[in-house]
Order: sequence, then C-alpha cells, then structure tokens
Amino acid sequence: MVPDESSRESDGGVVVTGPTELTDEASVTEEGTELERTIGLAGGFAIGVGTMIGAGIFVFPGLAAGRAGPAAAGSFAIGAVVALLVALPASELATAMPKSGGGYYFVSRALGALPGAVVGLSIWLGLVFATAFYLVGFGNYAAGILAEVGVPIGNATVVSLALVAGVLLTALNVFGTENAATLQNYVVGLLLAILIVFLGYGGLDALGVFGAPSTRERFMPFGPFPMFTTAALVFTSYLGFAQVATVAGDIKRPGRNLPLAMVGSVLAVGALYVATIFVATSAFGSAALSDFGETAIVEVARAFAGRAGAVAILLAGLLATVSSANASVLSTSRAVFAVSRDVILPTAAGRMNLRYGTPHVALALGGGPTLALVALGEVEVLAEVASFLHLVMYGLICVSLVVLRRDEPEWYAPAFRVPAYPFVAVPGAVASFGLIAFMQPLSQVVGVAIMVVTAGWYKYYASDVSLKGAL
Amino acid sequence: MRDTQDAATPTILVPVKVLEGQGLPETLATFLAPADVVVLGYHVLPEQTPAEQASLQFEERAQSAVENVARAFREAGGEAEARVAFTHDRDQTVERVATEVGATAVLLPNPVGEVDDLLVAVRGAIDADRLAALVATLIGAGTQRVTVLGVTSEGADVDAEAAVADVRERLRTRGVSADRIATETAAVERPVADIVARSGEFDAIVMGESEETLWSTLVGDETERVAEGAIAPVLVVRRGPAPESTSG
Repeated sequence: MVPDESSRESDGGVVVTGPTELTDEASVTEEGTELERTIGLAGGFAIGVGTMIGAGIFVFPGLAAGRAGPAAAGSFAIGAVVALLVALPASELATAMPKSGGGYYFVSRALGALPGAVVGLSIWLGLVFATAFYLVGFGNYAAGILAEVGVPIGNATVVSLALVAGVLLTALNVFGTENAATLQNYVVGLLLAILIVFLGYGGLDALGVFGAPSTRERFMPFGPFPMFTTAALVFTSYLGFAQVATVAGDIKRPGRNLPLAMVGSVLAVGALYVATIFVATSAFGSAALSDFGETAIVEVARAFAGRAGAVAILLAGLLATVSSANASVLSTSRAVFAVSRDVILPTAAGRMNLRYGTPHVALALGGGPTLALVALGEVEVLAEVASFLHLVMYGLICVSLVVLRRDEPEWYAPAFRVPAYPFVAVPGAVASFGLIAFMQPLSQVVGVAIMVVTAGWYKYYASDVSLKGAL
Repeated sequence: MRDTQDAATPTILVPVKVLEGQGLPETLATFLAPADVVVLGYHVLPEQTPAEQASLQFEERAQSAVENVARAFREAGGEAEARVAFTHDRDQTVERVATEVGATAVLLPNPVGEVDDLLVAVRGAIDADRLAALVATLIGAGTQRVTVLGVTSEGADVDAEAAVADVRERLRTRGVSADRIATETAAVERPVADIVARSGEFDAIVMGESEETLWSTLVGDETERVAEGAIAPVLVVRRGPAPESTSG
C-alpha cells in the first residue's frame, strides 16, 4: 500500500485520495476507477533524453574545452557519474511510489510536508525558468539558421522567435488532443539521428579515415583539477533525468521501465556528450574551440561539411531546445498537479477541461510565467537558479532514500533496490549540494530566496496539510 | 466473482465513451441481456494529461453514468457489472479488461432498433465454438433469425462452405432450430465492403476477431471497418485462450 492520502486535519478538512492499488497495467482508485498505464519504455526514455539534451550539448564544448582541454570529455563523464548517483535512488523511490509528481512526491512522503512543499513549489518555478532559457536558446538557433541563409537578424528577432515558439508549444499542449507526447518522440528521434551522423563522421575523421589522424593533444593540459571544476559547470546538461519520474503514474510496468528509462537516458546522453567533446577537440584542438566559444560545435560541423553541416547542427540545436522546452512544459504541468492534489496549491490549479481533455490551468501556470520571463530577458541567471533548485531536489531525493531505508515503513516495497545504497545515496547527496557551491553568488541568493518564499507560502496556506504515510 | 454455474454464460464487454454522453439503446440491452455484460465506461485522454488528474475531477460523474448504463441491462433482466477506466489508449484498455473478465465478445456500438435479424459474418479462421455459444445464448429462447454468411476474397484458399456449415451445425446443436438459420457464401473482391453493403438488411452483426496484419494496422481492423461502415452494432468474438476448435 502506497501512502497516497493527504488531509487537512482542521475542521471541515479536505481529504484527498489517490490510486491505492498499483499493478503493471493499471492502477485502481479507492472508488474502483481504473487508471490505465500507457507510456512504454521508449516513451519514458524519450522524456529523459529529450529533457536533458537541451542547448547544453552545443553550448558547452567550447567553454569546457577552454577550461579543461580534451579532459572536458572527462568532465562530462564525471557529470554522468554524479547524475547516476541521483538517478539510482530516484529510480528506487519511483518504483516504490509510481505516481504522478516525481521528486515532490518522494520528498514529501519521506521527509514531510514542509520540505515536500518547498521542493514541489520551487521545482515548478525552476521548470518555468528552465523553459524560458530553452525558448531563448531556440530563438538563438532559429536566428542562426536565418543568418546562415542570409536573412539579417537582430536581438528583437531572437526574443520574438522564442515567444512564438513558447505560445505554440503551450497551445499544442492545451489544444493538442493528438498527443503532444508523440511529437516529442519524433523530435528526439530526429535529433539523435543528426547527432549520430555528425559524431560518426567526426569520429572516423578523428581516427584518420578521411586523411591524416588529428594531432594528439595532451589530455590534461591544465592538470586534473580543472576537469572537476568544469564538471560542475557542465552538470547543467544532465538536469532532467528525474522528470521521467513525473510520469510514473502513467508508465507501464513501472518496476522495470522507470529504472531502465532513467538510468538508460543518463548513460545514453553521457555517451553522446563525451563523444561530442572527443570529436570537437580532435577536429580543432581545445584552444581554437575556446576561441569559438558558444558556437564551437557549429564551426566543427562547418569544417566537416561546409554550410550544410553548420545548418544541420543549428537545426539539431533547434530540435534539442524544442524537445527540452516541450518536456519542461509537460513536467511543469505535472508538478503543479502534484502539489495541487495535496492541497498545497488551490485544487483549482489541477483542473482540466473535458473538451480537450488537457490540464489547461496547470499548463497556463507553466506557459504564462515562462512567456513573461522570455519577454523580460535575463534568462541566463534564471537558468542557473533552475539548476540550483533541481540540485536541491536531487540532494533531498538522496536523503529521502537514506531516511526510508534506515527505517522502512510498511508500505515501502520498491521493485528496484539500489545496491549498497549508502555508497550511492550519500555521495549523491554530497555531490548535489556540493555543486551548488560552484554557482554564481547571485544564483545562490535568488535560489535561497525562492525556497524561503515557498516555505512561507506553505506556512501561510498549507501548514494544516498532513500527509498520511509520511514518516 | 462469478458463480460456477454461470461459468458457461458468455460475457460481453460493452465499452462506452462515458463522459461523451454515449448511452446504449434499450433494444440493445434487451438483445444482450441473456449474456453477462460488463459495461466499461472509458475516457481517452491525451498523453499530456495524467490519468489520475482526470479521475480526481471526473471519477464520480463517470461512475454514475456507467452505473446508469449497467442499470439498463439489469432492468432488461441481465447481469451487468460496471467498470470505469481513464486511459490514453482505448484499445489497450479494452483488451486488458476483456482479458481480465474473460470476455467472449466485445461490442462495437452503433444505433439499433429491435433485433430480429442477425448477421453472422464468417471470415477466415474463427473460434466457431465460442461464436456459436454466444449466438445461441443471445437468441436461443427467442424468435430472431440468423443468417450465416461466409465471405471470402476472390481466389482465397478458404473453404467458406465448410466453415458456414460448421457454424450452422453448432448453432443447431445448441438449440437454434434449423428454420431460423439461413446460410450463404460469397467470394467477393472487397469482403469488408460486401459485409457493410449487406448490413442494411440486418439489425446486428456478429464477427470473429480479425487477425493482426500489417494491412490492418494501417487501415484498421476488419471488424472496426465494418462497425464504421455499417449501421448495425457489431459483436466481435474474441479468440479463446485455447480454442477447442477452429474452422476455415
């Protein structure tokens, strides 16, 4: 039995119930209504990969190579290891509580309503910030393609393109009865195809198949230390694997598919990142990459295949930002639903309409603020704040695992158990909180401020909510 | 759940789009009443909507609506169980529930009046025994007429005559008198179109579950295409777990 009830203990309290019986094919609510599980392994994998491969893979190679040399590949590998340290505990918790809400749900049930509310509300805001960042990234890639084909563009064009994309994505999710999630799978598939062709060609080139092998550069020109600090910089490109857990309530065979999708998407994305750095540093050398800065990968592709290569990579960047933005809009809506189900936001926030069958209020609570932020600018700082809030959630997920395992409640029966859990969850928590220390002071201040405000909201609005099943 | 004495009574799964106000004609309830009925009220959601979110808001409404449909069956003298499901995939849900309740047949609803004439369309490999058991249960005590129509594609290597005779024989064994059974066979270019064209003469259609082929995945099951084209409801007989006998 999974803890799934929350109630207001004060007079005239609200009692919220959720699915009580969970099977591989469907869950059953207390009233006997069946909730079909329809998302397969591929769908879960696409959510993980689609959220993670955002602009990061194209933006970071130049910056990272400048700091760490070819060892930037090692930085991305370290990032993948840290991501796995969190993905494994998140997988175990998700199989024990395969319900909509993901990280919020685990933390609130393991650590209590207040930490839960802080995570749930700040992840909602964090996802809004991240979506705004992806949309501006989209605007940049779209403008880049226009520039390649000779259309002059200005900064206003970037913002307008980002706004148009944001409006279209939100509208697609509100009115798209023909499954916005299916679109996500196609976008991710096309993106992976372009990347694999690029990396395959670049890899063969680096090994000397098309001419002389590239000259070997020293792997760690600046010593090992920059490899670790750079890992902190590029960890942003792994944010998002835990979004797989937000669809836990709808995924088929959750005991098998949730861990596979989460761990598998981290491994796949990590392999792509490492290969990208290898190809990029082999083609140009890290000094030249560093000079190119944020457009380094475009220049690498241009060196391989001329303007067509550059446009192909810009198109891949466009797809990557679309998939990240779309996945984040969906996750935002689920995050809002999860907290409103537990009455931490007004339940009206979780309302849906019958005409389109979509949660229009939650989608608007994601899309509306996102568009406002895109229009106002300053998304770069907010992107780091989003990372801050994600890392807090990741750290607390690891803490939740330790708390639950040390004194297992009766209902706790995960289908997947992390082997040697203290050696995974404790370093996972330390790494997550530790990465926060590498952030700009401004992001840290804004992040803490947001957490204080969400805690204040909990005290003001929801302090009488008690979660049954919480320890 | 069921008494052992009921084990022989065929179960029919009746999927209803419950929140879209789809009801069932009373005449259909009367026709199906001799069988056990499971009314499955379902609502299909786009993937961006968690099923749980929909159930929180619409569960009560869906349950009372499906209960109303089930009551219509009980008032017609039948046994009816009511279930509600929120899903992103109608076929997956219908298949799962049909397997869980051991349904003999699944109804594809269409408008219907009094059921007097029943068309049994025999196509390819069917579970003749289950089909006959179902038809005999539904009309055994009544006066309705059955036409067993064997339809094959032109040039197909299927003995339609034998299949039709087999079904006829099984119906007679189960107590449907010979004068109520007519048989026909036809080899036509487009079997589905032929069944649809003939459906106007009948009040309900019984067909075997069609086999999954590449073609059916592209254009839809034969049974679904018949249900779309015909004005009569279609009962799709599912294959048994271990068919005692197949024909064709």
